[in-house]
Amino acid sequence: MLLSSSSYFVFLVAIFFLYWPVARIRALALAAILFANYFFYAKWDLFYLFLIPAASTVDFLIGLGLARFQHAALRRSLAGLSVLWNAGLLATLKYTPFVLENWSAVTGGAKPEWHWSFPIGLSFYCFQSLTYTLDLYRKDAKATHSYLAYLAAVSFFPTTLAGPITRVSSLLTQFEKKDKSLSIEDGGRAVFLIALGLMKKMLIADYLGANLVNRIFDFPNLYSGFEVLIGVYGYALQLYYDFSGYTDIALGSALMLGIKLPPNFKMPYAAENIADFWRRWHISLSNWLRDYLYFSLPGLRSKWKIFTYTNLVLTMAIGGLWHGPSWTFVVWGLLHGAALALTRAWQNWRGTQSNPAWWARLWRTFATVHFVAFAWIFFRAASLDTAWQIVNRIASFTFSAGNISAPVAIVMAIAALAHYIPDAWFQTTDRLFVRAPFYVQAAAMALLLLAIHYVNATGAAPFIYTRF
Amino acid sequence: MLPRYPTLTILAFGGIMLLTDVVPALHDYKVMDWANLPRVLDFVDRNRSAAPELEEQQRLRPETDPSRQARYPLDDNEHDLDHFYQALHKAEGRGQGAEVRILHYGDSPTTADLITSDARALLQKQFGDAGHGFCLIAKPWAWYAHRGADVEGSGWIVDPVNQSSIKDGLFGLGGVSFRGGPGATARVKLGGPHTRIEVAFLQQPGGGQLRVFAADRDLGVVNTGGPKLQSGFASFPLPPEARQVSVQALSGPVRLFGMMFSKDSPGVVYHSLGVNGAYVSVLAKFFNEAHWREQLQHYKPHLVIVNYGTNESVYPQFVDYASEKELREIVRRLRSALPGASILVMSPMDRGQRMATGEIGTVPAIPRLVAIQRRVAADTGSAFFNTFEAMGGLGTMGRWYAAEPRLVGADFIHPMPGGAKIVGGLLYQALLHGYNQYKLRLIQQKSMVAGK
Repeated sequence: MLLSSSSYFVFLVAIFFLYWPVARIRALALAAILFANYFFYAKWDLFYLFLIPAASTVDFLIGLGLARFQHAALRRSLAGLSVLWNAGLLATLKYTPFVLENWSAVTGGAKPEWHWSFPIGLSFYCFQSLTYTLDLYRKDAKATHSYLAYLAAVSFFPTTLAGPITRVSSLLTQFEKKDKSLSIEDGGRAVFLIALGLMKKMLIADYLGANLVNRIFDFPNLYSGFEVLIGVYGYALQLYYDFSGYTDIALGSALMLGIKLPPNFKMPYAAENIADFWRRWHISLSNWLRDYLYFSLPGLRSKWKIFTYTNLVLTMAIGGLWHGPSWTFVVWGLLHGAALALTRAWQNWRGTQSNPAWWARLWRTFATVHFVAFAWIFFRAASLDTAWQIVNRIASFTFSAGNISAPVAIVMAIAALAHYIPDAWFQTTDRLFVRAPFYVQAAAMALLLLAIHYVNATGAAPFIYTRF
Repeated sequence: MLPRYPTLTILAFGGIMLLTDVVPALHDYKVMDWANLPRVLDFVDRNRSAAPELEEQQRLRPETDPSRQARYPLDDNEHDLDHFYQALHKAEGRGQGAEVRILHYGDSPTTADLITSDARALLQKQFGDAGHGFCLIAKPWAWYAHRGADVEGSGWIVDPVNQSSIKDGLFGLGGVSFRGGPGATARVKLGGPHTRIEVAFLQQPGGGQLRVFAADRDLGVVNTGGPKLQSGFASFPLPPEARQVSVQALSGPVRLFGMMFSKDSPGVVYHSLGVNGAYVSVLAKFFNEAHWREQLQHYKPHLVIVNYGTNESVYPQFVDYASEKELREIVRRLRSALPGASILVMSPMDRGQRMATGEIGTVPAIPRLVAIQRRVAADTGSAFFNTFEAMGGLGTMGRWYAAEPRLVGADFIHPMPGGAKIVGGLLYQALLHGYNQYKLRLIQQKSMVAGK
């Protein structure tokens, strides 16, 4: 059940009407959310009804142990067990085919069959689950003794497919709040976020995907170098609007139930260097990688500064692999890791300029966006071979634009400009929508649906980030 | 308690959606299908298909489906393919010099050796491998590729038949002409051993020279000069260890058409002759008839496959008013050049397009075009392979796009390697079935003669 499908919105409205009448009765409210979570998982595969409760129970018990025991070695063992458990789940249910494929390539044997793949949402679930046990281990959060609350928080349905990766402790605090209510502002904002997300996803991301990006990334050699370059820019926009559109719908859905999730994007293509980019793109993942992986790697406190850089590369390589079992993601992660390490080294050497000239900032943004777009080639390409074909086509400097239609060019231009809309404008629109009478909000949603129906007759494509 | 304001918004939204159902004047604005509501409660078990390509192949294999058993989409009522089957029969006996030569003319999938490489591999596995066949001198399009022969070239002015500035119609067998002077080179990396290379060029007054190398061994010099314009061919034996072959222009101008790689062993040579964006007019009009005849008579094919239609399918006027005439002209030219050869008209694959409903349907002209091709084949005594029907007919590309991994690209035209393999397999199965029928007829004829 995609977050942009009509089924999802019927489900969300049903949960809204189920949750709020019981919201003040703690156990019933948690049960309603847990029901919604498991219903949502079951729509993907009934096996999740076994997998998620079992995985959550293990971490809940580990959490109880961490709350109870103060012995350092025992606590370390429990935290290690949680890491092993979640990493093991990921490795078994998501990465086994990749390992088997590479193993058969190395040994020259036939690839053994493997039918136990459950990739949907598992990466996000495991990372979210680890925030609980690792926070407890570091004593950054308090354990919950409510099994129901934990189960509801760790599998909270708006976050399960593609984040934002939310600290379980932050969700628990909101779930445990006694006087739950939904203000007029939050209610209006929830509708606004959902509408905005749908617009980003269906009017921009899906349109660019169907009419430009997918064709070019399928057969780059059929297109001129210029068309392939435009296809790469198109993918950079598609990915942003797809993922941030998903996030807006997730934030809006959670807000419908009075739960606030952290933001995930902050104008990423305005970043002035690659470190800045990661403070603006998929913020919850970069925070997770920094807090739970980078800081945990050995060597950071040693006198050897080299570990600062190698750990950055390693963190991003693992982050790349987390996105999917493919070497293309590893290369993408390595590229970002190397760029982050170089940026750090440069800043350590030359320091950071506090107030650079406008043209210097423009140049930095231009260079950063182009590096990011270059790395997206590896992120999107089906194989390293295809990625190489794309790079070669761009480097061929051949020109023709016959495959880029005027509507595609217009949508790309609008998408690029809209990305740089100042935050203040966005806030003003948000305020206007929130203050509008309910019937105006409803009419606006209806009009949006109509526009989506007529402009984008392609059906909802799966969100790109749900594949990770 | 329900939060008042958001609840009102939701109810108002639902009300507006209902209005489009209830008020006749608003029916055109209906976007909500209430009948879909119960689908929220559908818990469909995930399709755990581990091998969708195999499943699709099995679904399409006539012999595994009783309802399709007698429906091979190959029409050969006039037994036009007997000449080809006769050659196959000799090759099957592995007699010395028993070579089956197939020319496959097509558009972009053929340019990338999709479908043809799979058909070639299957036929060569069954009847023997007599060599890779024809390759162009360089890549006219980045998309150009041949499985088992990696072509690279530099320094050439490339003139594909349908995008050429030269209008003499002299484009060799493969539809592309390469003009160059000193320094222009062509290199081919072969996937396996071959025993002979033949370079095809244009003999012309003032024509330059070129040198042929194999694994750094100088095989000889070719002089492309001659008193008049005519097709020229220069053949050299290849050392068995040669995997890299190159051709280098020594003096200009030279005009080349391609290289052919063959083996001494009996079997099939399957020439893949694709031109990007090609349609029937390429062979019917753009090729100079006399020059093409020279080429055809030199290569002496047992079977010529004419496989166009995808590109013209989006021009319904052309399909309805011109395609039949031009296809007839192709067959006429072929019959005139190769009186004994078999001709197979191969229909285009399905071509998808996004419909107003959001579904991927078939380009409307495709079924009409297939019917026209079938009619022309029947009228001219040629054989006809209905690729479109063999794949599954209307909406096949929609199903192929939904498969995971996908069997067709996002343009709903070009098959992924998995999809191409399916089509190559279907063509092979149809030809093999026809061949088995031919053998059966031979046995019947022999027994009738013996009975007399």
